[in-house]
Amino acid sequence: MKNHIVEQLKKQIENFESQAKTEKVGKVLEIGDGVARISGLSDAMASEMLEFSDGTVAVALNLEEDQVGAMILGDYKGIKEGDEVKSTGKILSIPVTEKMIGRVINPLGKAIDGKEEIKADKFYPIEKVAPGVIERKSVHQPVQTGIKAIDAMIPVGRGQRELIIGDRQTGKTAIAIDTIINQKGQDMICIYVAIGQKESKISRIVAELEKNGAMDHTIVIVAGASDPAAFSFISPYSGAAIGEYFMDQGKDVLVVYDDLSKHAWAYRQISLILKRPPGREAYPGDIFYLHSRLLERSAKLDEKFGGGSITALPIIETQAGDVSAYIPTNVISITDGQIYLEADLFYKGLRPALNVGLSVSRVGSSAQIKAMKKVAGKLRLDLAQFRELEAFAQFGSDLDEKTRAQIERGKRTVEILKQNQYAPMLVENQVSIIYALINGFMDDVAVEKISEWEEGFHKFMKSSKKDVLDKIATQKELTEEIVKDLEKAIKEYKESI
Amino acid sequence: MKISIKQYAQALYEMTLNKSEVESGAIVENFVKELAKNNQLKLMPKIVEKFEQIYNENNGIVVAKVTSASSLDKNHLDRIEKYLADKYRAKKVILNNEIKPEIKGGVVLRVGDDLIDASITNQLRNLKASLEV
Repeated sequence: MKNHIVEQLKKQIENFESQAKTEKVGKVLEIGDGVARISGLSDAMASEMLEFSDGTVAVALNLEEDQVGAMILGDYKGIKEGDEVKSTGKILSIPVTEKMIGRVINPLGKAIDGKEEIKADKFYPIEKVAPGVIERKSVHQPVQTGIKAIDAMIPVGRGQRELIIGDRQTGKTAIAIDTIINQKGQDMICIYVAIGQKESKISRIVAELEKNGAMDHTIVIVAGASDPAAFSFISPYSGAAIGEYFMDQGKDVLVVYDDLSKHAWAYRQISLILKRPPGREAYPGDIFYLHSRLLERSAKLDEKFGGGSITALPIIETQAGDVSAYIPTNVISITDGQIYLEADLFYKGLRPALNVGLSVSRVGSSAQIKAMKKVAGKLRLDLAQFRELEAFAQFGSDLDEKTRAQIERGKRTVEILKQNQYAPMLVENQVSIIYALINGFMDDVAVEKISEWEEGFHKFMKSSKKDVLDKIATQKELTEEIVKDLEKAIKEYKESI
Repeated sequence: MKISIKQYAQALYEMTLNKSEVESGAIVENFVKELAKNNQLKLMPKIVEKFEQIYNENNGIVVAKVTSASSLDKNHLDRIEKYLADKYRAKKVILNNEIKPEIKGGVVLRVGDDLIDASITNQLRNLKASLEV
């Protein structure tokens, strides 16, 4: 056996053809803050990968008459002025492989979770032109986030870009993580890109994903707060590249970019050091293009091209609720809708702190299963009307019967839409509880007891009426038969308490 | 208006082209005075470097550095000179031989921005990379 290996090795060495080719080299003129100015390299291309003598990689971003400004991907402390730089002739690419699922990697594809190295055979370019019009198909399959408020009123579809926007500590990451956890068994590969996040927060997230069994279908890409800005800059594109590897195989991918505000900061830092002229809020002129080219790579492909999809959930952090600031308005205009989280609602106890009025999904009900469409159709409008009337309710003045009923129903709707973190709900359970709500089965339950009622209901359904839930899950529609069974089940539960 | 090193060197080259030694001397003196007036005397070394580059380019002179593990004999040096003259269509080749035992064998040729690494260390590195695949 050993002999065979030795023979093979000997053959490989014999067949090795040594070639000395002419390479272009340059010399480092100036280095600092993650950027190197290099002289020479007369034929460097834009975004070409350059290599330093110690193996560190850089990307040529500024091509000037007699020097090249390059962004260093990695630790630049080992590089000094006068060092030699070689051009590789390749555009920046990262290794991609199935083996990345369940791992935590850095934006260059290297494993950083302490487990074994990841060897890949394919390389995907970090920058790529998004699929064109002909290759796409309209979004028509749902992404079940597991969060009642979102799946009912602001549904997300496979191939859509839905922005999660809000102030700090309003639950943006929580929504993304709950969505990822809920993708278990949904035939979806999830990629969570942590951009410039605290390492402690990231380790908590990974631990939570592991606890809920979500790492079996998730890849975590980390560009931490202490990593160079260059890593934060390319990490979302790395996420998109890995997503495209799976999409090209016809699979469905969910990518969470947490968050793009820090991504914009990292790009601003690099642009300022490269002496590119600063514009509004000191951001470079192409800050819109930075995000638009990233988010355009999310798509639903036509069957002829594999039928895969990438759904994007970018996250933006606003300052003091200002959605009309530069970066938030940019990203809002790019995405197909937004989930707007408000701090006031959060502290009032409404979690998830969704502002249903300002949130929208431009894909809408084409991303819902028929059953959900039926029950949730009027939910949004009813909730909006309730909000208008809520002020009256506070007065406690004399109201007519219809108004009072609307207010009571609205209060119960709000209670039902509250949900705990790390408790995503399957769509059949969502459909059943919303059906109970809109058909008046809860009107006789006190508002404070609604969540208790709901918990008991779900337990009851799971233990004694699992067949009804399964029917909803498989048929995805509320047929007459299912409606009958469901109503019977609800009545049974009500009698049992 | 800021004048670049390249522009200074280019100007100096064009002014002293085909001039006699005496005339060139006067031109250079005026040039240095002009530099001093603009407070750009510190650029002198870089201008000289750039001037040399422009001069070599225009006169078909190629400056090359060959690094080897041990010093090369005249035969080898001549062959390398001829190779470079062919490759760069040069009329004259100035070859410097640098000794660096770390490369273990072979040669490393450096001409301006171009690098041809035919050293043993590089070959071994390439072999290792090809075996890892």
